[in-house]
Amino acid sequence: MASLDMHATVNGREVRKPAGSHMRLLDYLRDELNLTGTKEGCGAGECGSCSVFVDGVLMKSCLMPVAKAKGAVIETVEGLAARGELSVLQKAFHKTGASQCGYCIPGMVMAATAALRSNAYADREEIKERLGGNICRCTGYQKIFDAVELARDVGNGTLTARALEAVDEERQADSFIGSNVRRIDAPSKVSGALKYAGDMVVPGMLHMQVLRSPVPHARIVELDVSEAEAMPGVEGVITCRDVPGTDGFGVFTHDQPIMARDRVRYVGEAIAAVAAEDLLTAKRALARIKLRLEELPAVFDPEAALAPGAPVLHEGAPDNVVMRIPIRKGDVDKALAEADLVVEESYATQAIEHAYLEPEAGLAYLEADGTLTIQSPSQNITHHRHMLSKILSLPINKVRMIMSPVGGGFGGKEDMIYQGMLGLMVLKTRQPVRYIYTREESILSTAKRHPTRTRCRMGLTRDGRILATEMKLLADGGAYAMSTEGVMRKAAILAAGPYAIPNVRIDTLGVYTNNTPSGAFRSFGALQSEFVTESHLDICAEKLGLDPIEIRRINAMRDGAVTHTKQTLGSVSLLKVLEAVEKSSGWEPGPPGVRGPERADLGGPGARRPCTLGARFRKPGADDKQEVA
Amino acid sequence: MSAKKRGRGVAAAWYGIARTATIDRAGAWAELDDGGTAKILTGVTEIGEGILTVLAQVAAEELGVRPEDVTIGDNDTARSPEAAHAGATRQTYMIANAVALACRDARTRLDAEMADHWGVDAECIRAHGGEIWAEGHNMRLSMDEAVHICKARGVVPVGSGSFTADHTGLDPEDGSGRPWQAYVYGAQVAEVEVDTATGEVQVLGIWAAHDVGRAVNPAGVEGQIEGGIVQALGQALMEDYKLADGYTSTQGFAKYILPTSLDVPQVTSTIIEDPDPLSPLGCKGIGEPAMVPTVPAVMNAIYDAIGVRITSLPATPEKVLAALQDKRRRDGEAAPGMAAE
Repeated sequence: MASLDMHATVNGREVRKPAGSHMRLLDYLRDELNLTGTKEGCGAGECGSCSVFVDGVLMKSCLMPVAKAKGAVIETVEGLAARGELSVLQKAFHKTGASQCGYCIPGMVMAATAALRSNAYADREEIKERLGGNICRCTGYQKIFDAVELARDVGNGTLTARALEAVDEERQADSFIGSNVRRIDAPSKVSGALKYAGDMVVPGMLHMQVLRSPVPHARIVELDVSEAEAMPGVEGVITCRDVPGTDGFGVFTHDQPIMARDRVRYVGEAIAAVAAEDLLTAKRALARIKLRLEELPAVFDPEAALAPGAPVLHEGAPDNVVMRIPIRKGDVDKALAEADLVVEESYATQAIEHAYLEPEAGLAYLEADGTLTIQSPSQNITHHRHMLSKILSLPINKVRMIMSPVGGGFGGKEDMIYQGMLGLMVLKTRQPVRYIYTREESILSTAKRHPTRTRCRMGLTRDGRILATEMKLLADGGAYAMSTEGVMRKAAILAAGPYAIPNVRIDTLGVYTNNTPSGAFRSFGALQSEFVTESHLDICAEKLGLDPIEIRRINAMRDGAVTHTKQTLGSVSLLKVLEAVEKSSGWEPGPPGVRGPERADLGGPGARRPCTLGARFRKPGADDKQEVA
Repeated sequence: MSAKKRGRGVAAAWYGIARTATIDRAGAWAELDDGGTAKILTGVTEIGEGILTVLAQVAAEELGVRPEDVTIGDNDTARSPEAAHAGATRQTYMIANAVALACRDARTRLDAEMADHWGVDAECIRAHGGEIWAEGHNMRLSMDEAVHICKARGVVPVGSGSFTADHTGLDPEDGSGRPWQAYVYGAQVAEVEVDTATGEVQVLGIWAAHDVGRAVNPAGVEGQIEGGIVQALGQALMEDYKLADGYTSTQGFAKYILPTSLDVPQVTSTIIEDPDPLSPLGCKGIGEPAMVPTVPAVMNAIYDAIGVRITSLPATPEKVLAALQDKRRRDGEAAPGMAAE
């Protein structure tokens, strides 16, 4: 690759170091200057994690060819304060708890710095608008806005620097449990110092790339890697043929090979992997792998997957059923026949992506005693170690899993995905190997939240008591089982809600299709099934002329209640939380029924102003100070 | 007449803490170290929820040191005891309790030596914030000195802890069983504005109340509630991983739309503390339950605003507009010139 004579002023120091002509400014900062505080989240200018200042202007460094930055003055998150110190804004992020996983935070700090440089008196609405190009998946943004407001007030002299320090209560607490101790990981996150797996390097490290299926269902007719293997710079190519042990992983059913075995079952499934001395060579080698596929009939709809004659994905499941969970209590048919009101409705929820800002990444290497070590943001190293020991045929204590700081997980890093390929590649090449997903690769190939379709029937008395709930939930599990069984179980147990219902019939069913696999995702099936019950209750409340909080109160499980799985509970706090939101929101009681236009509880202190794009920018001017005061 | 209509909706939720319908366990090791500091080893790493801070607070409280004196070892299957996985709203419940038990074990060793050193009963030894004293006696030292004395007597104050959540599987026929020992409950009210010209829904406010058991770090709990709500908002209004014949058309963040700072509501959180009686600390959890009531609360609020019930997520502008047109058609047929509802 062509070399470029590159020089710039980076964080106040003159830098002269050649760059690859294909590099983006982001690559140059991270790979050549080791400034890994600047993160790659999407590579497309959408998430803002890679924000830096170029000649004083906030830029997304993933969109800027390095040649464009030649001679420029560049400022990264590492340069915002003197070494070992934090800027006012970074201290404010620490103080308000504005960082969670921390991966988006350096970019967020850069954007917020730009906002306050533009207007030292920016109000909360303007701050929101100026941070609009930066995505955070953890915090809900509220504490980030708090941090920027705090830094603004300290910066413009409205508050003293003391406002950035730990509160006195934290220091003088009788008990550290229950006190708002500031996050101990925050300084390393707001400064960009924390190393995530993709920031880690070891000498002699190879770069891995993965060949993925271009079709949803096919038989692998030919997979010839010899030409790729022979390329200069390529150190190793692996396929399922290299797996020394018993291949197969999953949470409950081990139905997924670490790379496709004879068949591919979804678009994006891993087929082969290449490790080379640099990323570009690894990418080029993928194109030299000879792959011939014979397409098979595929099924994309969960109902169609259950129909007789549907294409079968796994020999162990001829009916395409991953898991069926029943919950039975009382006599639902009798209760529905006796109910004063029976309401029936269908609901659907969509697949969604975890969209953690840190794409999957890992670094693996052999230790002197032959131990295979894999560092990755895995949410379940205990289970992954068990599976890898079998797949790679290593004694369990020769597999060492280290959980690197997780740049957002939400369940998406709980199912094992790529750790098997990394480990196998290290065993084959005997060299350290690193693998970092692109955003597109992450979206294409990793698990999603289960999309569901649910039919719900509820029978109630005239005074609002639920006599029976019947629910049938069908979930698309995609091509491999992953966490589907557990998701179906949690969806079923919690489906009918925290209500005392004498008669319950719940069925949840997860099926295989040739779609992207569904897996663990924060709220794990309960989000889908409780959405149904809570929507349904409002429909019933309207028909019965009952206030929605009231109908929930009438049916609420109380202390000592027996659940739908016939478990006797201790104390139940449902009435307390209902009362709390009724009070905090100033809820005006009344049956649901398009009361919006006449209700008096709208637009109160807990509601923000509606947003009109662009309307919040104000000219910095003489009257700013008066407005703030 | 304004095209923008407001409304409110409410929803409740419940959730089980830690692994479902199977026994759950976590282990930890603790050591009171030189200088009155502390080492905690357990299989945990931050996934963003603030668990390291929570564990530092718990260890500080149980050992009698300060949170900043606590060092927490990395999650490493070759170096730390098993604490299983980082999910299922189990980190605070399972691991903080394991850490508390390990710290109590270490303190038993230290307290026995100090009681002997001072000639008092071990039961009267207290420690907090880096100081250790004998209640009812005129004895007080820094934790630094106490650890020094303990070691000079030939004892390293170490401890271990294992915490179990005693869950059972479900009956395969009727689902009966005890899937969790701790449950949490939550409720949220949503206020929305719907633009009937564009179909766009803005969530202006969420009032949330969640029982988390004993809250170790209330600001951290709030952070989980705020973050959970915004993720749920994405599911409710905009996020959609689209597939056609197995191929996605939402392959990057330009196509896969996520909530940004301009989309988020103001969130007012109320933390309800109903302590868990079955565990040493009484805390439960918040990570997952935080996002469960949001989606139905928003759908119920949309109905309140415009009389349209969205039963298929997400409530995109296109879907809301189509539903409004349907409703106008239906209302027009049912009762010309006025809304049927």
